[in-house]
Amino acid sequence: MDAFITQQIDAYYLRIIIIIGINIILALGLNLTTGVTGQLSMGHAGFMSLGAYTAAILSLHTTLPFVVVLIAGAMAAALFGIIIGIPSLRLEGDYLAIVTIGFAEIVRVFFLNFELGGKAVGLAGIPQQTTFSIVFLIMMVVIFLNITLLNSHTGKALYSIRENEIAAQACGVNTTQLKILCFAMGAFLGGLGGGLYASYMYYISPGEFGFMKSIEILNMVVLGGMGSIPGTILGVIILTIAPEFLRVVADYRLLFYGAMLVILMIFRPNGLMGDIRWYDIKKRLPKKEVKKCQS
Amino acid sequence: MQTKKSAKWAIIMIMVMLVSLVAGCSNKPTSTNTPDVIKLGFLGAKTGSVANYGLPAEKGMKMAIEELNAKGGILGKNLVGIYEDNKGESADIANIATKYITVDKVVAMVGDPCTGLTKVAAEIAQKNQVVIFSGGATGTGVVEIGDYVFRNTLLDSMAVPSVVDWMINTKGWKKIAIITSLNNGYSTALTPVFKDAIQKKGGTIALEDSINDKDTDFTAQVTKLKNAQADVLVFTGYYQEAALIMNEAKKQNLNISMIGGDGLYGQDLAKLGGTAVEEKVIFYCGFSTDKPTPETAKFIDAYKAKFGENPDMFSAQYYDAVMILAKAMTDAKSADPKLFRAELAKLKDYPGVSGSTTFGANREPIKSPVCLLTVKNGAFSLVDKISVK
Repeated sequence: MDAFITQQIDAYYLRIIIIIGINIILALGLNLTTGVTGQLSMGHAGFMSLGAYTAAILSLHTTLPFVVVLIAGAMAAALFGIIIGIPSLRLEGDYLAIVTIGFAEIVRVFFLNFELGGKAVGLAGIPQQTTFSIVFLIMMVVIFLNITLLNSHTGKALYSIRENEIAAQACGVNTTQLKILCFAMGAFLGGLGGGLYASYMYYISPGEFGFMKSIEILNMVVLGGMGSIPGTILGVIILTIAPEFLRVVADYRLLFYGAMLVILMIFRPNGLMGDIRWYDIKKRLPKKEVKKCQS
Repeated sequence: MQTKKSAKWAIIMIMVMLVSLVAGCSNKPTSTNTPDVIKLGFLGAKTGSVANYGLPAEKGMKMAIEELNAKGGILGKNLVGIYEDNKGESADIANIATKYITVDKVVAMVGDPCTGLTKVAAEIAQKNQVVIFSGGATGTGVVEIGDYVFRNTLLDSMAVPSVVDWMINTKGWKKIAIITSLNNGYSTALTPVFKDAIQKKGGTIALEDSINDKDTDFTAQVTKLKNAQADVLVFTGYYQEAALIMNEAKKQNLNISMIGGDGLYGQDLAKLGGTAVEEKVIFYCGFSTDKPTPETAKFIDAYKAKFGENPDMFSAQYYDAVMILAKAMTDAKSADPKLFRAELAKLKDYPGVSGSTTFGANREPIKSPVCLLTVKNGAFSLVDKISVK
């Protein structure tokens, strides 16, 4: 299948498509933590680098199959997701954001000093096993599982934590368990995306997984709409393609990129598809009419 | 009602923006895609933290292409350079390299100044059988990627033994202290090269210490350095930290010289360091504007006339890289990377503006001489030229 696709699609566009696929996996992970459950995490690049380095080191030093390597990377990230999930029980909002930023920095500095990870020089020569079909398959599975989760009882409980934690608790939602779960799942997807990224890029260094990377992924989720799967996918596609298309305006491309974000956020503060959700689309309409009567 | 209307407008505006960009993008390649030009892709950062290497490099490359075109181009075809900004990020350089190869159909890419980024682009170039010619990647493991990968720069592994030899035998500095910047890839790669050379040439390492890039307070390191009573300090990082370390040493009345690599070659070294770095900081690099050869003098004059500033090592090495590619294509009578790369590998004693270049059996460049520079009256000046053995 991959041979056929490389013949049909220009390598440059194929590259962008694969990056979009990897970013969708990453952003859907963050969407679970920040978008759905409302736990502001600004350290997604930390989970991504854990997955990337674990996968890279394993595939450089062992002959394990690629799938095992990817899952090992994702599991390593998920483990740290649980560790970070525990303080989230006591913290919320800005305070939690600071903890997650701190975590991502710890991971980055750790890899800066980690002998096996090549220190600041980074790791080169990672076998390139990420192909279009693997990314596409994993992406479809991740999207499918995300939709199933959010439509399930657990998914609604996750949304309820975001809307009002005390009310959710009063309704019998086990918020402790679910918050740790959402961090673990978000980190798992972050690690999975990181593993795919490492194997696709051939070279990784700690500098790539800095604070800006976390913000970039958060941008995708916020732009598309917090908690919305189609929104997140749309946000990823726009923010991955835009910098490439903006190469036309050369020196001003970062300016255009910023302007686009500002315009979008002014007119769509909930993100492109943040307030369009299938499960409450019907309930929204009568609500608005009620408001009009009151005013 | 009001919000609904503005939301609609926003969506329309964004749609128009995106559509116009798509339209602009798809029009561009067809207009420049004429078969009678030879295209070269530039790899380097024009924004971001390593832009100070990429910007002069771009100027050097532009100048070389203009000069070649003024002489009638190569094989009767004009050269066209394409200059994208990779921001010093590996995801960007991978996208750009792929775009150069598949959309723009370049025959060769020139760059990148950084070793790690060059490796990313080299992997892609090798797979697609396009020549990549770096004018700045000094670290190890670059040309090993494949036989389409070349570089024209003074290798640390070749320069450092000569420099250490000069330190120990010419200057008599035997007790050596080393400071590494831990979050700097260039520095962590260079330190082992220095340590290895010092041990081989019979020097002793009096102190090993570390800092981080963007640190500003070096009191602790300088105090330790003072107690170690070393003859000389080797610092493998970049110029900002070098200047600050020397400022601190001056404050503590420590009279010591600092030796470093071309990471110290930044115009701001003199500005940040002031009198503390004057004739104290000595670093090696492959290019100097002092005591130039006739070719170099011509290049410096032309560059000054065009851009109003002195060229640096990267502009010279990119300029040479384009010229060497042009020579290889002329010799091979073809602009096909599969054919002219063989000519490229045969290059011997090419008299470039950044010194003479020969490609060894493993395609590694052997460049001579090594220039040792220092700061004198706020400008760089040559201390010594030593030949590489």
